[in-house]
Amino acid sequence: MSIATLNIPLHVKYIQNLGKSDDELMYHLTAHLRLNAVYWGLAALCVMGHKEALDRGEMIDFVMSCWDDEAGGFGAHPDHDAHLLSTCSAIQILVMQDALDRLDIPRVVNFIASLQQPSGVFAGDSFGEIDTRFLYCAVNSLSLLGQLDKMDVGKAVEYIRHCRNFDGGFGSRIGAESHAAQVFVCVGSLAILDRLDVCDADTLSWWLSERQMDSGGLNGRPQKLEDVCYSFWVLSALSILNKLEYIDSDKLISFILSAQDPEGGGIADRPGDMVDVFHTCFGTAGLSLVGYPGLEDLDPVYCMPAKLIEKMGLRKGWKALERRSG
Amino acid sequence: MTMGALKTHPKVYWIWNHRRWCLENIPSGPAPAGEEDANGWKQAAWQKDLFVVEQMLNKDPRNFHAWDYRRYILSQIPKPPLPKTELAYTKAKIVSNFSNFSAWHQRSKILLSLWSSGNLDESKSKENEFKLITDAMYTDPHDQSVWIYHRWLVGNNSTRKVLEREISVISDLLAEQPDSKWCLESLVHYKRMLINSYKDAVDAQALTDECHALLLQLSEIDPMRSRRYKDIMSQLNNHDV
Ligand SMILES: [Zn+2]
Repeated sequence: MSIATLNIPLHVKYIQNLGKSDDELMYHLTAHLRLNAVYWGLAALCVMGHKEALDRGEMIDFVMSCWDDEAGGFGAHPDHDAHLLSTCSAIQILVMQDALDRLDIPRVVNFIASLQQPSGVFAGDSFGEIDTRFLYCAVNSLSLLGQLDKMDVGKAVEYIRHCRNFDGGFGSRIGAESHAAQVFVCVGSLAILDRLDVCDADTLSWWLSERQMDSGGLNGRPQKLEDVCYSFWVLSALSILNKLEYIDSDKLISFILSAQDPEGGGIADRPGDMVDVFHTCFGTAGLSLVGYPGLEDLDPVYCMPAKLIEKMGLRKGWKALERRSG
Repeated sequence: MTMGALKTHPKVYWIWNHRRWCLENIPSGPAPAGEEDANGWKQAAWQKDLFVVEQMLNKDPRNFHAWDYRRYILSQIPKPPLPKTELAYTKAKIVSNFSNFSAWHQRSKILLSLWSSGNLDESKSKENEFKLITDAMYTDPHDQSVWIYHRWLVGNNSTRKVLEREISVISDLLAEQPDSKWCLESLVHYKRMLINSYKDAVDAQALTDECHALLLQLSEIDPMRSRRYKDIMSQLNNHDV
């Protein structure tokens, strides 16, 4: 079944209804991602030009209810321990809602900086799991707060350099296989830190272009299934490298559109599967980057509205495809 | 403990992390009866986990959490298996399925460490790798894992002799498989290397013309990436005038 257009009103409604879900089981299953989910919902609404569809005051109150006062960071849910993933989402939401005045900036900066390891990478929390995703969360958050000088940038860049593989991609830690999501976090961090020279741009753009499958969808590494969320991981890195033309955007657009749920709204990982807010966010984000008509520009480095990032003076040299006319 | 959870949710990363944390915190403890090694407990626990990971990789050979965890065990275990044992493990994985890029990836890392430590003669072992990869290429020329590994093996500082030999191996394969995108793509890559590194020793004009023809054919059989092929064409033009 092919669906020719993005059903914006239906997706907006889908996101609005997420907060009202009385499905107890799903509610508890996703508690460890709640704050991230609010960010995904808000980012998707911004891309679709309906930021106001979720109540600003309620959202800010929810974010602040996730503050872990002992640690000085945000948990994914009230009473959860602070983690770098949820702290990054909280800061992104507060920036998008122009509510940074609610934040104890020195404390949260201290929390983030304290998670940097001697190797340069960041741990997600005090349990010490390390991952280049956490490094990106730290770089993204500190940059939004204008506090990059509070981390050891040189060491972080060296860590990323050591994660680079011979295929041009990056893994989750030193020695790990290249994966498109890890490519996004490493390339995004390097872009924010103005150190894209660390990328082997030719090899990496080759590897990224080979993520596109015959269906038009993108996969995360060789010989794996295509998935809508890779539309963002692959496209963001390609647009930062200024090589977005290396994939067939028409075919990708039809793949993403075919993963919409035409009745309940939302976008799934691939056609026919259950929708969720994560894939709705990264599907619309991918559509925005390849110039799908009627969408707002998205900054691929921060995965936030481009206008906002530009106003903050943080825009880097990425290039998206020109917005098509309806 | 976490084993049941790992079987039902092999991709949930925090379960792996919890397991990692538990193992790191195993006390050294007394040596088991008949052994003098105070690391005995640790060795036994890590060994058991290595076995668990191997079972998981038998079921899902591309699970990168399991591969990551395997690398982690090998870096932490008090008495690690010999690197050549790990090399044999990757080979067994590869031979059972040439498309297992995770195993190729792991193999490249092990080889690099064996070469740099002097435990394996680099040039001899590279020749063996070329034999293995040629087999793989001929078995399934459509499998990109093989071609990515081949590109790594050739590297950036190959001799003219190796480049020309590999170009001829791939050209023979192309004759059998005239529409193989990966043959065409790789030929362009290695011919460009010849032009760039051995400009004065090769017929650069003829190679450039050959690349042009190959790129035109690529744009036709792989239109999704035609813009990339066009980019390479214009780089060829700028380079050689
Ligand atoms: Zn996905």
